[in-house]
Amino acid sequence: MRVNQQVLNSLDDLVHIGKKRWTKLAKMLDRFLYKPPQPGGPSDDPTPDYMNLLGMIFSMCGLMMKLKWCAWAAVYCSFISFANSRTSEDTKQMLSSFMLSISAVVMSYLQNPQPMTPPW
Amino acid sequence: ITVVKSGNPHDADIEDNDFAEFEDFEDGVEVLEDEDRAEFPDDVEVQQQKEGGAEGEDDEETTIENEDDDDEFEHFTDEDEFIGFDKGQSPSSGKSKDKLPNLKMTEVPGHLRTNWDSFYMEILMLAGLAVYFLNFIHGKNKNHKLAQAWLQSNRDLLESNFHIVGDDGSTKEAQAGTLMKESENVYALWCSGRSALEGMLVELRLLKRQDLISTMTNMFKPASDQILVTIDLDKNVMDKFVFAIAMKRSCAKLHKEMIDLSQFTEKKNLDKYSDMPSSYQLLSEVGEASNALLDKKVCQVLTKFEGQVEFMHFSDQFCGAKSQDESQATKMPEVKPVMIFCFNVPGKGKSKPTDMEQMKPLLQLVFYCLEKVSRLQLGKEARNKSEKNRKKAEEQFLKAAHSQLQEAAQLRREEKRRNEKERIMNEEDPDKTRKWEERESRREMKRKQPKMKMMKI
Repeated sequence: MRVNQQVLNSLDDLVHIGKKRWTKLAKMLDRFLYKPPQPGGPSDDPTPDYMNLLGMIFSMCGLMMKLKWCAWAAVYCSFISFANSRTSEDTKQMLSSFMLSISAVVMSYLQNPQPMTPPW
Repeated sequence: ITVVKSGNPHDADIEDNDFAEFEDFEDGVEVLEDEDRAEFPDDVEVQQQKEGGAEGEDDEETTIENEDDDDEFEHFTDEDEFIGFDKGQSPSSGKSKDKLPNLKMTEVPGHLRTNWDSFYMEILMLAGLAVYFLNFIHGKNKNHKLAQAWLQSNRDLLESNFHIVGDDGSTKEAQAGTLMKESENVYALWCSGRSALEGMLVELRLLKRQDLISTMTNMFKPASDQILVTIDLDKNVMDKFVFAIAMKRSCAKLHKEMIDLSQFTEKKNLDKYSDMPSSYQLLSEVGEASNALLDKKVCQVLTKFEGQVEFMHFSDQFCGAKSQDESQATKMPEVKPVMIFCFNVPGKGKSKPTDMEQMKPLLQLVFYCLEKVSRLQLGKEARNKSEKNRKKAEEQFLKAAHSQLQEAAQLRREEKRRNEKERIMNEEDPDKTRKWEERESRREMKRKQPKMKMMKI
């Protein structure tokens, strides 16, 4: 039995369309995973890192040179860095900067219980 | 008043007790008032003289006693021994009143122990921290409310377009409805499972309301919350063109920073698009694509939401922004077709959840443009033009990379020659060094010779 060529072609077309639709349907169910933005990219906010570094420097000054206003500034820097931190950032870094700045304040008052004299 | 001391007239037998001398003192002291003195002026004087004399005798006695002492210290008052020493002047009376140093008593505070109100700086610092913390809580909640309001108002539109809405990719099974918190002011929503694209990332870049300093800077320099929609298209869905329409204030920055925009597009004016607002600027590579995309509907939306659509950037050669360091990359950057939309939330920083709900038409604009781009087919001519642009860009890149590779090779060659020279210098055998010098001089000569071209006639 000879099947008409035209019918065959149309069948192919149907299969082809079906395949295309099927791939389209399959594509709809495809799950592409979310790729979080690379740290350090253009949209990345540098504030928490800078504040963290500044906090460390102020804590060192507060501890070494017994400057009370440096220790207080370190506490502020830790707060600001915490407020602007990304959730992907590890909390150890945040905790260590808080601990360092609070220890700077405590140590400077233990060594010299007099009230703070402003730097100006 | 002259005090006259009278002795013990009756030579009474004085008991030998400690207070003997005071007893005389209490009985015999008579205080002669001035009037009495007038009655017995002579006697008193006589008596005084006697006393004076008596005293004098006493003095003499005492002086007699002193005389023995003075001999012992005679050499201290010898004028020959000490220059400028005046015997007559007694040492004690030598200093006049005005030479005495005036001693200034320094003010010593009443008591050294401090009380609470001298710690005013510390109280100020603690108050500042408390205010910062309260603002942090308030700002964090406000941002959370805004993000949730946007999600609630657009959820049904997203779910009708995507199979997966709000998937953070952390679990094997696809999640739904998770608004990822990148930081206290950046939220992200990932949707996938739709034809023609791999995924769509919606980033809610809100203001840093949780940071007191940013809140204060926003008061002086108002800014608005932004919603950035990035669609990663499938390969071969989008034809080859780069297109961007942006507010004039951000167009220059985009044109300079984005690699694909700076390489492929030019600024075009918008006069021929009649109902396009004048605050926008077009960056286009293929005119045909721009005409197709900026149809009547898109122009109406841009006019109605003027200022809220910051920019729309469609590109098949997207490879991000230019990197900060100047070094030329040696490898061709990886390009991918993307569509990026950036919207501003109305309210200039004082947005409320209701403002978020008014952003729904803009999300519909995103899906409308997605359909248009995926159906757009460039004509033959336009396609040839874009193919040519891409080839030219590739050649430029290879040329730049080649020159960099050449420089690196040059540096390596010089390094090698320097090492060889050092090795020869340390060489003890004179023959080898002479041979090496001859070879070097021959090479120098050959390099210096003018390059002559042989002409075949």
